[in-house]
Amino acid sequence: MDAWTWPQPPGPPGEVVWLAAVLVAGALMGEAIARTTRWPRVVGYTLAGAGAAAFGLHLSVPMPDTARWVIDLALALLLFEIGTRVHLRWLRHNPGLLATSLLESVGTAVAVYAVLLLLDLPPAVATAAAVLAVPASAAVAGRVALELGADGQVTQRMTHLTALNTLYGVLALIVFKGVQLADGAPGWWQQLLALGASSLGALVLAAALALAVARVARRLDLRHESAVLLLLGLVLLAVGAARWLGFSTLLVPLLAGLLLRNTTQRPWVWPRHFGTAGGVLVLLLFVYLGALWSPGLLAAGGAAALALVLARALAKGVVVMGLARWSGASTRQALALSITLTPLSAAALVMLGELWLALPALAAQVAPVLLTALVVLELLGPIAVQQAFKLAGELPADGREAR
Amino acid sequence: MSLEAFADSRDLSLGVELELQIVNTQDWDLSPQAADLMRLMQGRRIPGDVKPEITRSMIELSTGVCSSHAQVVSELREIRGALLDAARRLDVGLSGGGTHPFQQWSRQRIYETPRFHQVSALYGYLSKQFTIFGQHVHVGCPSADDALVLLHGLSRYIPHLIALAAASPFVQGEDTGFHSARLNSVFAFPLSGRAPFVTRWEDFGVFFDKMARTGVVSGMKDFYWDIRPKPEFGTIEVRVLDTPLTIEKAAALAAYIQCLARWLRTERPHRLHEDDYLPYTFNRFQACRFGPEGTYVDPSTGEHRTLRDDILASFNRLEGHAIDLGAEAGLKLLRTELLDKGNDASWLRDVREREGLLAEVVRQQVLRWAG
Repeated sequence: MDAWTWPQPPGPPGEVVWLAAVLVAGALMGEAIARTTRWPRVVGYTLAGAGAAAFGLHLSVPMPDTARWVIDLALALLLFEIGTRVHLRWLRHNPGLLATSLLESVGTAVAVYAVLLLLDLPPAVATAAAVLAVPASAAVAGRVALELGADGQVTQRMTHLTALNTLYGVLALIVFKGVQLADGAPGWWQQLLALGASSLGALVLAAALALAVARVARRLDLRHESAVLLLLGLVLLAVGAARWLGFSTLLVPLLAGLLLRNTTQRPWVWPRHFGTAGGVLVLLLFVYLGALWSPGLLAAGGAAALALVLARALAKGVVVMGLARWSGASTRQALALSITLTPLSAAALVMLGELWLALPALAAQVAPVLLTALVVLELLGPIAVQQAFKLAGELPADGREAR
Repeated sequence: MSLEAFADSRDLSLGVELELQIVNTQDWDLSPQAADLMRLMQGRRIPGDVKPEITRSMIELSTGVCSSHAQVVSELREIRGALLDAARRLDVGLSGGGTHPFQQWSRQRIYETPRFHQVSALYGYLSKQFTIFGQHVHVGCPSADDALVLLHGLSRYIPHLIALAAASPFVQGEDTGFHSARLNSVFAFPLSGRAPFVTRWEDFGVFFDKMARTGVVSGMKDFYWDIRPKPEFGTIEVRVLDTPLTIEKAAALAAYIQCLARWLRTERPHRLHEDDYLPYTFNRFQACRFGPEGTYVDPSTGEHRTLRDDILASFNRLEGHAIDLGAEAGLKLLRTELLDKGNDASWLRDVREREGLLAEVVRQQVLRWAG
């Protein structure tokens, strides 16, 4: 009789097991942070990712397929949601706010470009980094405000400025890629044509998504779980289609949200982040972001990343504070608002991915700087945002909301 | 602390205070932005005043001392214009209505002043539940005794005023079945209800001193009566009105009160008696619950009528006074609305029925208030 052997697993555990493990680790850390500190749970999610990376499980760019899908989908939900919270008419009634939005984005790009040039980075790399540094974080802003129950002018303005600078950033990247590709290469006009066509395609897809959601909302009560799942499905379908057709996965959901909010009068009320299903994606997103770092990356990014972070924060702060009076905010609110704009966005990561597809050599040069900056800000960001809300007096009296 | 002296005021002059809801333009829930509105209103020249209220999603505006319905309308328009400018810069909505239809009272935040924190500490959740929005109308009285006589004369018409102004059918997402659910929150306060039946200021002073000696009250502001004297202004203050959905309705209600006061003062149609208060709470409940369809028990005769009939009858009686006071437009507005929708509560229910979404109801309230 043969000796008994431990049954061998039929193969490696596979993606689902890894995803589940990430979910469990993130949720555990989130709760641990919520119990032991007064920080937002996203800090815990990010820490879970950072911990995994410390054991060598770090996420490298360009990302593996599963991670890219999760990040795309989670971000799509967040961007669609933030888009539906932007009231363009406000910008008409408050030109000071419109000016703040435009100037903080331009100011950020110029400041980052200038600082990176000073540090002897090639102009193309500095430009790309400048474009990717424009968006503030829709994920951090939306998630932290929701979890803490923040409400008021700073929360409202943060939402608007973040949605808009993400839009500017994505559009600027399209133009930047166009210019780079057009630069002397044969057949450049075909490249340009393709870019134009894909932007137009993104707009059409966004309009289709907005229309579909509006149709669904007219017939179903969006506060019910089943209707929300339908909504979630629609957004994911649109993003899947965008990826398949090569359109920007950031532009489609953001534009769809904007169109939905600003072409219809009826309020759009549904559970934030599309309820539990969306919540899972958002949690995974933060764990993945946490896992981006590695010692090698930090060494490569180094001083340039820190300079980028500082220049960016300074540019946003100067513009927001400078235009506070005109836009009808108090100095304290303006300070808080500029802090809420400092977290660097997961959108920047996806934009980096898009750049990678078009111009891999350039993207590889930008990656260390941008990713290091992202890593630095992803843990500090949510805590800073929380303190900013506190400074502005926009948190409920007991400091946190049981949700 | 003893009762302050009753100040001089112009007979039948009017002052209107309106508590307004501040809502966001996203999901149309209440939004704590009173301080922002106050900041943007600084330096704006307006008649009257704008001030914060106990919760941060509420703001109160008041006219100056007005002599006529027309003046109330014009001052309210001017203040509304200034407030709407500020609200647009902040992207918030302003709305009438006695309650916010779906706000969660536990989420309300107390405005930062020592008095509001004191009140909040004393009343606990009641003070947050007090996130309700009313209209107060001051009527000038030539003397303190006249004020008390007018107060008890007007008390008969409290149900009429409640039924006309009712605009709070929804509370925390539910249809309460009431036309004015707001007043149920007021009645929870220990010193709510009616003033004691005394018609001479001297006697009122005795009552006040006794109450003050018990330590239960320290000033008139501690009484949450339906009508209370306001010695500081030389007025009586009617406090049962829900904030209407439009300023025109608010001005019309003030005009109705002014006409009633003039009629009561000049014609003395009723002999005042403490027994008049026997059906008081019954009548008031009927008005809150059923609005114009409620039953009104005539305190003198014991006769039962619908409030609608009694209100319409009062309009007819007041016609001459309305002409003398220049208040016909106000009464006409009330009559038309009463015969058409009934009141703002019915309008709100209709919108809810049509749209099926309370957030959409609030959006339309905001549109109506902006005129």
